[in-house]
Amino acid sequence: MSESISSARESRCPAVHSPKLRPSPATGDGLHIPHTPDLGSIEAPRRNEKEPRTRRICTAHEECQGHVRSMLGRGVKRKWSSLEGAEAEQLPDATATEDKRPDTALEDSEEEDRGDRWSRTDTSHLQQRQLVLSLCLEKLQHYQAGVELSLRRSVLLINTLRQIQEEMRSDGTDVRLSGVSPDTRLLRDDFREDESVTCPGCTEGDAEGPSPPPSPEPTNTAPTDLQKPPPNAVGHTFSDAGSAMGYLSDLALDDIFEDIDTSMYETSELPSAWAASSLWPVSVSFWPDDDMKPRSSAGSLQSCLLDLNELDHIMEILVKS
Amino acid sequence: MQWCFSQVKGAIDDDVAEADIISTVEFNHTGELLATGDKGGRVVIFQQEVENKNLPQFRSEYNVYSTFQSHEPEFDYLKSLEIEEKINKIRWLPQKNAAQFLLSTNDKTIKLWKISERDKRPEGYNLKEEDGRYRDPNTITALRVPILIPMDLMVEASPRRVFSNAHTYHINSVSVNSDNETYLSADDLRINLWNLEITDRSFNIVDIKPANMEELTEVITAAEFHPLQCNTFVYSSSKGTIRLCDMRVSALCDKHSKLFEEPENPSNRSFFSEIISSISDVKFSHNGRYMMTRDYLSVKIWDLNMENRPVETYQVHEYLRSKLCSLYENDCIFDKFECCWNGNDSVVMTGSYNNFFRMFERGQRRDATLEASRENSKPLQVLKPRKVCTGGKRKKDEISVDSLDFNKKILHTAWHPQDNIIAVATTNNLYIFQDKVN
Repeated sequence: MSESISSARESRCPAVHSPKLRPSPATGDGLHIPHTPDLGSIEAPRRNEKEPRTRRICTAHEECQGHVRSMLGRGVKRKWSSLEGAEAEQLPDATATEDKRPDTALEDSEEEDRGDRWSRTDTSHLQQRQLVLSLCLEKLQHYQAGVELSLRRSVLLINTLRQIQEEMRSDGTDVRLSGVSPDTRLLRDDFREDESVTCPGCTEGDAEGPSPPPSPEPTNTAPTDLQKPPPNAVGHTFSDAGSAMGYLSDLALDDIFEDIDTSMYETSELPSAWAASSLWPVSVSFWPDDDMKPRSSAGSLQSCLLDLNELDHIMEILVKS
Repeated sequence: MQWCFSQVKGAIDDDVAEADIISTVEFNHTGELLATGDKGGRVVIFQQEVENKNLPQFRSEYNVYSTFQSHEPEFDYLKSLEIEEKINKIRWLPQKNAAQFLLSTNDKTIKLWKISERDKRPEGYNLKEEDGRYRDPNTITALRVPILIPMDLMVEASPRRVFSNAHTYHINSVSVNSDNETYLSADDLRINLWNLEITDRSFNIVDIKPANMEELTEVITAAEFHPLQCNTFVYSSSKGTIRLCDMRVSALCDKHSKLFEEPENPSNRSFFSEIISSISDVKFSHNGRYMMTRDYLSVKIWDLNMENRPVETYQVHEYLRSKLCSLYENDCIFDKFECCWNGNDSVVMTGSYNNFFRMFERGQRRDATLEASRENSKPLQVLKPRKVCTGGKRKKDEISVDSLDFNKKILHTAWHPQDNIIAVATTNNLYIFQDKVN
């Protein structure tokens, strides 16, 4: 067995995966900062830290009755409950499926009814799509300082987002009018707020981030150290402040700044790139490329200062444009 | 098959301390030992008492054998992130000598623990004074050989190996090879092969990290070695595929030997299709001919010789299909349920919500829904099958879908390798059930 392994990639600890190529500068889509959309008439419950993690599933029927047997906690009255109720009623007799045919794949003829329900023009489908979209963005935006995000969860959320995106595009729905705010506006707002980030002393106050601030209160397992910004505070707090940018780590931050620089010098495409109606440039910003160690060896303080300088520079450029 | 309550371990009160949340359950290869890991980084091992084995109506009980702190919380200063001490997986090594060995892992570090017994101590040394000081050698005139005298059993757990710094992403699986020399550890994007003796080096055998992280669409969710063939392992993905790899083909197993994937039923397509297709657990059958996968709504059994579809599919809680939007909202849709086989691969088991767990008897095509609750915990009380009502009139004793408690989830279950004894973990309690013996 050892012979065949000898030519395998061998890693000595600390892990020595050779740094991969940096992601190419964003093209077209560029950066995107997802932002909780202006939901308009759609009421999506916002989860804050204090609410129970899980919510009860209500049907319209039960809500009307006002009788809530809350084993989960308080149910939240939502307009979507009627949607769920509609779905539940249309679900064919699932008990029969369970009991009689426990070992067959889902090939019941009853399922064919669903085909109609998913026709694109179906209002409930569009409503659900909008709901899922807003939830998706909300979940992606919500992140707790000091706790590493689950990559699996992030990937699944992004893929769902992409799927909705695709569907909206093929629908011919203008993404900008869909209720999700376009990128430029978001970016501007976020970056303006981030001006204060350039001042290290202000970093603590910035921890809350732009609206809505799902103020990432550290979980009870987080040590109190996290309350004080650690040495690479600027980068980290920037990602807090621009929490709409998602899960930026210091390392990914470098790449993003790099992207900005390049495109600024090459073309004046930057604003349009970010405002691309082609949507959610779901870019590298969503998960840090943890393997990359561009500056980590240089010492966190150095990288902090470098970040600071870059930030200054970029702020100038953005404010001017 | 009827099941009876046997024991329940853990605190009774409803206020669950987060550290007590059970995160993994595993029987050892004989079933004599049952290990649990929790969110606080502790491992608790229960041992089956052998005394009453002869009594037909009373199976042996499991009592605490050893408790130790396996992992501590750590702080990654580079990324300003906390590394949780939660035990993600425990895997026992086959017993080679008097001691027992297990691998326990958190998100980043795997540890090999040796659990050994000490029930004798030497006595009769004449080299020391009462207080422990060494006597002056000139005063010692006789040679006295110490004798071993019995003492109260002491179980010691000591970390023998620490395998660290090999995973950038969160470790989700460890699996010991049948060669008993190597094991694999898998995180979201990579699988590493280790030698149990060597801690400063591991071989990367699978790497699905794209050069550009923007292109990442799939992660590894579980991995396991084949129980008999030491060159074969499988890994599952978040897209519902399973890849079987043969380490003899090439050192780097990025190219799979087999790809197991069931084409999606187009009428079931929804925004959540991919999320619910994500496989949360994969387990080979004991005989090595089949493997079982668990996705959000179903359990599928695959014949290793047939890649295009599973041979059996069991619906765990199909009534949730119409609730996916709500489950997505409250994050339950991301719950990772495990599954397990019984000793002779005739029955499979997995957990659900409301402290329900499901059993599927393959040959008989029977299935049952049982509940782990304090209400049904009188000694040897037979568990009554539960039924979820999906619509229309709710019969007596049925529970409606909307009344299910989604906070009470059974993610971890284990089946004794030989007997019909099962361990079912609720949030912070461990239930042990045994089949009814007449």
